[in-house]
Amino acid sequence: MRFLLALLALAAACAQAQTPDGATHSDWPHYGGTQLSWRYSALGQINTANVKNLVPVWQFQTGDYAENLQATPIVVDGVMYLITPRIQVFALDAATGQVLWHYKYPTPRPGKPGGMTFLQNRGVAVSDGKVFFGTTDNYLVALDQKTGVEQWKVAVDDPRQCGCDITAAPLVVKDKVIVGGTGGDAAHRGYLTAFYTKNGRFAWRWYVIPGPGEKGHETWKGDSWKLGGGAPWMTGSFDPALNLVYWGTGNAGGDFNDEDRLVPGAKGKEANLYTASVVALDADTGKLRWYHQEVPDDLWDFDSAYECVLIDRPINGQMRKLLVHMNKSGVTFVLDRVTGEFIGAFSMPELQTWISGITEDGKLVGRREPEAGKVVNTCPSAAGAKSWNSMAYSPRTGYVYAPINEVCNDLTSTSTEASEGRFHANGGFSFKLPPDRKTYSHLDAWDPITRKRVWSMPYRYVLLASVLATAGDLVFTGNPEGDFFALDARTGNKLWSYQTGAGNRGSSVSYSIGGRQFIATPTGWQQSITGAQLAPLFPDQNWRGGSTLIVFALPEASK
Amino acid sequence: MKWAFLFLTMTALGWSQSLGEKVFAQSCATGYCHGARGAPAGAPRLAGRGFDQAYITNTVMRGLPGTAMPAFGTTLSRSDLAAVVAYVASLNGITNPSVNLGPGPGAAGPVEKPLSPEAEQGRALFFDAVRGFGRCSTCHEVNGIGISVTTPIANIPADVSALRALSTPDVRTAKLDGEAMPALIVSQGKTRALFYDLTSAPPVLRTVEPSALKVAEGSAWHHASVVGAYNDTELASILAYLREAIKPQ
Repeated sequence: MRFLLALLALAAACAQAQTPDGATHSDWPHYGGTQLSWRYSALGQINTANVKNLVPVWQFQTGDYAENLQATPIVVDGVMYLITPRIQVFALDAATGQVLWHYKYPTPRPGKPGGMTFLQNRGVAVSDGKVFFGTTDNYLVALDQKTGVEQWKVAVDDPRQCGCDITAAPLVVKDKVIVGGTGGDAAHRGYLTAFYTKNGRFAWRWYVIPGPGEKGHETWKGDSWKLGGGAPWMTGSFDPALNLVYWGTGNAGGDFNDEDRLVPGAKGKEANLYTASVVALDADTGKLRWYHQEVPDDLWDFDSAYECVLIDRPINGQMRKLLVHMNKSGVTFVLDRVTGEFIGAFSMPELQTWISGITEDGKLVGRREPEAGKVVNTCPSAAGAKSWNSMAYSPRTGYVYAPINEVCNDLTSTSTEASEGRFHANGGFSFKLPPDRKTYSHLDAWDPITRKRVWSMPYRYVLLASVLATAGDLVFTGNPEGDFFALDARTGNKLWSYQTGAGNRGSSVSYSIGGRQFIATPTGWQQSITGAQLAPLFPDQNWRGGSTLIVFALPEASK
Repeated sequence: MKWAFLFLTMTALGWSQSLGEKVFAQSCATGYCHGARGAPAGAPRLAGRGFDQAYITNTVMRGLPGTAMPAFGTTLSRSDLAAVVAYVASLNGITNPSVNLGPGPGAAGPVEKPLSPEAEQGRALFFDAVRGFGRCSTCHEVNGIGISVTTPIANIPADVSALRALSTPDVRTAKLDGEAMPALIVSQGKTRALFYDLTSAPPVLRTVEPSALKVAEGSAWHHASVVGAYNDTELASILAYLREAIKPQ
């Protein structure tokens, strides 16, 4: 097997010596910036010396205050495409905020009572003259990029049955648009589905949980594979040189009790494949090429559904194609993205009580599992050391930047039978602040190769916004109090801050028009799930919701 | 069955509260929403808030627009609604709730008779998620579940061979951009034409310029090809399900 992998690696390295560029330039074309998901802009007009002059130049209030604004704005040829939780899509002149067109999705079919329907949307994808997005009732829709008129729509699943919906931005890969869904906690079998951008026709589907006769099926007890979760609910990455799509998969269900899903004797081994894993799929066929399971037999709701950051860095003098991936536990894995080979892992959160450590080959040791009839306190919490909001990578510093929360939870474990589409956590969590700390989060810079923390900016509450890195050696993110700020990417020194008026829970981007660099950030604190669940830990605080995009630039005279 | 009005006075809370607690646990205390017994969680605390009966009823039935609180008036049965309203009322110190759901949409609720074992088997096959897009519910909605690509099933084929031989005169041939495809026309307006492209499952709802679309009668598409993933025994169970689930028009 190792020999075969080595051969594959060699073949790929010979065929594709070129390093793909993960930086964005004048546009912000994909959810993660580029398909390599760096969230890094090569624009350097705004830099460490002049960022103090940054001012707001336009704002856009979506008028949809159902939830917060979580969407990553997509910018193509000077036009920004923005989606709201209740599926209103706006095309805006990205220099002025003027509305070019507006689309409103009809009232969606209600989801299954007791299922999981989330009223939020994390972005559109733009390609092939169309704007693609998922809906709360599981449609994938394509609009005309110029007019906003619907071109095609297709039902990915029935919300009345699966208890699932689509909140992630789709990923466009060549002639296909790929989308995952939620539902990993709702007795549902997760999948990714690809459709042709041209006409919406079905291209392929990859089920996270292998069916009868497929390898990995044997890691499921009885019929539990049918409703075992694993929903890949965020957006993946793509390496065009390798033609591989990378995606993180969600937790196994029921979350906090493995009685109905773990094969007897499997404790401590790979289990419930391919949940809580990073997978590489052939972009054309959706066939599994390799996988790396990060949390075998997940019992903490530690989805691995987050972003896959594709970087090329030398290790021992040899250039390697790597994938950096953090799951909810905050353990961050560095893999060879050609073969899936494990290279290293490190924990960004300071408190890590759910395990005692990770072995040199990436195995979890000293697992502290929830137990039926008991309350077991573990850190980090099911909200995640990091939530779905993305980290960033700067090729100039070689560091990844991530907001990390130091919150614990009391876990309970029960055993109930799975019922299709109904919530099936088999236990619950109650968030607790760890004792003897004054700060409960930090924004970190880590070198993923040396696995050393370079700097850390502590913050007294929690951090739940994505990070943006730029060639101006700046790192941007925001906090729940409403401050959107810039740090020096090399030192972590705060260089600029702006009070946006509402909590920050979205993903900022950068783009340029006519030689002027812009920084855009969505604002508004999340009114449900993670944002709302963590807020009561700080009862003296009032983190405000909202749905406004704020765009900054240097004053015309000083740029 | 049509319910114009339902008025329930809960003097003996016993059964309704336990049902209400169950409905609450299944539909409201779902981890990311309210907490168990009305405790705060992802959604706000509901116990001891001083809510009055009318507010609780209205919120449960119609939801809270602009928030994540959905309307349950059309998704739960009348008895479940009455029980969960009474339960939330009890969490707010209302010990003898007089639950008046009023007239409203979905007043009949999904009242379901128990199915026979064969029909139950057919129901599972009709909605079988393991079959992905090869299941009946990819195109048919029955009792609120499934995707309604076609008009509701009204005439149930007499037997499996009739089901396999089912003619589908509504499926025509659309020509678009030089390509012919089996199509179910939804509308052909002055500015837009809508049709389902049935080339592959799931069907794709396309919106096109009317002038770009040419429609011809007949199609090479056959219902037999899409039910092909089911064997005769399975199709017989599905027919048994449809006979029990679908009320004569």
